[in-house]
Amino acid sequence: MNSILDLILRLDCWLLLAPLLPGIINKVKAWVAGRRGPPVLQLYYDLARLWKKGVVMSTLASPAFVMLPAVTWVALLGAAMLMPLGPLGAGLSFRGDALLLLYLLALARFCTAWAAMETGSAFEGMGTVREVSYAVLAEAALIAAVLSLSVQSGSISLAAMLGPPIGASAVLLAAGLFIVLLAENCRVPFDDPNTHLELTMIHEAMILDHSGPPLAAILHGASMKLLLFAVLLVQAVLPMGQLKPWLAAVVLAAGVLGVTVAVGLVESLLARFAFRRVPLLLTTAFLLCLFALLVAWKGGLQ
Amino acid sequence: MAGPLIESALFLLVLALAVGRWWPRLWLGLTLAGGGAAAVAAVAVFAAGAEWELRSAILLGGEPLHLRLDAVSGMFVVLVAVVGGAGAVYSCEYWSDRQYPASAARGRVWWSALLLSMLLVLTASNGLHFLMAWEAFAICGYFLITLEAKKPAVRAAGWLYLAASHAGTVCLFAFFAALAAKTGGWELGPMRGDAALAPLFWLALAGFGMKAGIFPLHIWLPSAHANAPSHVSAIMSGVAIKMGVYGIVRFSGWLPEPAAAGWVVIGLGAVTALLGIAFALAQNDFKRLLAYCSVENIGIIMVGLGAAMLARSHGDAAWGRLALAGALLHVWNHGAFKALLFFGAGSVLHATGTREMSRLGGLWQRMPWTAGLFAVGAVAVAGLPPLNGFVSEWLIYLGLFDAVAGKQAPAWAAMPAVILLAMAGALALTTFAKAGAMMFLGAARSKPAAHAHECGGWMRGPMLALAGLCLALALAPLGVWPALASAADAWHGGWSAAAAVPLAKLGWAQLGLAALMAAAGTFLWRKVRTNNLRRGPTWDCGYAAPSARMQYTSGSFGGLAAGWFSWVLRPLRTLRRPRGHFPLHAIRLERVPETMLERVIQPASARVMQLSTAVRRLQHGRLSAYILYVVAGLAALGTLVIMESLP
Repeated sequence: MNSILDLILRLDCWLLLAPLLPGIINKVKAWVAGRRGPPVLQLYYDLARLWKKGVVMSTLASPAFVMLPAVTWVALLGAAMLMPLGPLGAGLSFRGDALLLLYLLALARFCTAWAAMETGSAFEGMGTVREVSYAVLAEAALIAAVLSLSVQSGSISLAAMLGPPIGASAVLLAAGLFIVLLAENCRVPFDDPNTHLELTMIHEAMILDHSGPPLAAILHGASMKLLLFAVLLVQAVLPMGQLKPWLAAVVLAAGVLGVTVAVGLVESLLARFAFRRVPLLLTTAFLLCLFALLVAWKGGLQ
Repeated sequence: MAGPLIESALFLLVLALAVGRWWPRLWLGLTLAGGGAAAVAAVAVFAAGAEWELRSAILLGGEPLHLRLDAVSGMFVVLVAVVGGAGAVYSCEYWSDRQYPASAARGRVWWSALLLSMLLVLTASNGLHFLMAWEAFAICGYFLITLEAKKPAVRAAGWLYLAASHAGTVCLFAFFAALAAKTGGWELGPMRGDAALAPLFWLALAGFGMKAGIFPLHIWLPSAHANAPSHVSAIMSGVAIKMGVYGIVRFSGWLPEPAAAGWVVIGLGAVTALLGIAFALAQNDFKRLLAYCSVENIGIIMVGLGAAMLARSHGDAAWGRLALAGALLHVWNHGAFKALLFFGAGSVLHATGTREMSRLGGLWQRMPWTAGLFAVGAVAVAGLPPLNGFVSEWLIYLGLFDAVAGKQAPAWAAMPAVILLAMAGALALTTFAKAGAMMFLGAARSKPAAHAHECGGWMRGPMLALAGLCLALALAPLGVWPALASAADAWHGGWSAAAAVPLAKLGWAQLGLAALMAAAGTFLWRKVRTNNLRRGPTWDCGYAAPSARMQYTSGSFGGLAAGWFSWVLRPLRTLRRPRGHFPLHAIRLERVPETMLERVIQPASARVMQLSTAVRRLQHGRLSAYILYVVAGLAALGTLVIMESLP
């Protein structure tokens, strides 16, 4: 009974709260620009509307074009189930679950790429190439971050790795993971989700041909991914393991909100980088995580 | 139990070899039965935990016959049996008597000979017989690669394979001869006690590494695998290069190794993985792409093995056992999904007649089975859950992470290895997103692609079986753990006790994910159908007259990430910019050569040939000059003797 309650609570967190994040980001951007902006719940309305709509599918595309967004969504939800949620802990936890999480994110990327290439559109090809290529560098940064957390805690299970005692590596890790968050979720300065020029898009270019329920699955999955990275960032940096459960929950919520607002501020203050500078920024993220790893190694020896 | 089975397997394969020329169906039955018997024999060895040995009084080359099957060789025997059987079925349609009347019968005979010689390599426990079987295996490979010997490219690839193979065999001759000289006999077996044998490991690494295709010894591999018939590519890539892996695993288990060995193997493995996949990404020929991807996978296996060697020399740490189990499982996994991918590639080649991805596209409409099965192989080879590639990579990662957590010296090898493996994994994803997309998705880029046809049941059956195997290995990893554990313990017995591996939880997670994904995909498809599904042209941002040539090509797909590796890929570029107001011609061509071969090996051998030509001038047939050489030589010798005798 308890485990069922736990599962329902966890699913609520991920499924119902995730679409809030893009809304908050847009609100922050609107405030900074002095506009009113769309309502915070805009994405919920969009999802509800898309779910009822019909679909136009390219004559070139196979049924996989519709099915793969669902697979992507399940992969992201699976990754979310592995992620501990402060006092709730993880839905499923075992040695090496951190790697399953990373590879589920990769599976989501593969499925999105495959669905995008179904249409044979050059724009979607462009977006796909950028997404899968930049992910090589983002993946290096992420695995270095996971390594540093694992060195810090001496474990490979997320439940033990996250919520570490605060250390010098936390700052480096926070910076590195924040850059990866921006890259993996296609935010400014890597990608501009609001641009109208398909030539400069990454993620949005990949989903140009999607419509109706599959698009709803993609948008909802993307918001879950954003929440996942925010939760990862907050728990990798803040010493939540030592707090009382209710306090940890509050800190987690506040942290995620803080990260979301920070993303909004970055979007308001920065412009999108030229594509040739993207690898440079991602390499910086990798180096930050690598230094965090070295600091964690040094700290553990004393 | 194992004894009669392996003997009957060898006997059945000999029979198959004898009848293969005339009776294809009987040959197929015998091959399948022989493979089945060999696989069951290996399973019996895993189950019993004891090795099978046969010492016979029969002399072969002056040495008594000595065969042995233990858990390590058992792993590879299963691989030979499964891929050998699947390839035999596949070849019935792919290389049929009707289509290739000249070479089909020859192909069957050499196929049986290849399986037989590989089984003998795996069971030989005498250095001399090992060398004989190894040589036979290499030659069978040559004749299978050159089945289509009329094509110059095939002949060139065959020669390169033969030359490289023999360069490796030279190292192995030296290795076994030195081993026999030092131990006083050709008998092979565990001899870790004798520290004087340690330096021989380098010879074995070079000789077997050549066959395995470790970077930069992989030069023969891409052209051989690309030009061979696809069922041959499958067994070459899935099994034959694993014989090199077997050699390295076998003799790192039996012989003492130098202190640096583990470091070198893990370093070579990590570099091989990253550069192999970088080369794969840059290819336009899909069989060459698959061949380079095999180089990557050999790298992954070497990382696991290197970690195990490091662990053994650092207090038998338990993480070494995990890494070794992962490496051995990857041997199986790679055999299964790479054979599947090469079968898929063969079926595309069969249907379209081209290996160039930039001439394909949109094949899923005419070849839905091949497209779906290739997609399964692509997910598996990219190491993604919920398929089998992920399980073995996960085990290797687990070993490496434990090594890092152990905070001893090996952590300094494990940390870079983890990062390079992760990058290689992401590049593999890019590579196979490209391969799948270019071959099967979008619109057809050429006429042959538009008129392709699906392969028949004899080709589809083995692909389905291998895809099923990939799924089974992924969803029930606990089922193969006993085999892995017994092989890891046969390699080295003294591992320190370890925490249990949560394979059961991983298996359940994978099963749950796979079921949910299938359910969610079906549900969404139904939902879309009820909502109203319309078909229309690809939107393409409103462009009214799209053409198939506007699609992304394989070069443009790989270009971004491959560009980061141009320092090693050294692509050849042709660029003619558009000029004037109404430009008619503009060209941008980019081709990645066989860089190691064309930029390193060939210039080096050209230099050797130059030197030899220069030396040949000494030989001109003038007697007076020869007498001068003799006198000069004698004088030099005399000087040497006098210098020696002086105090």
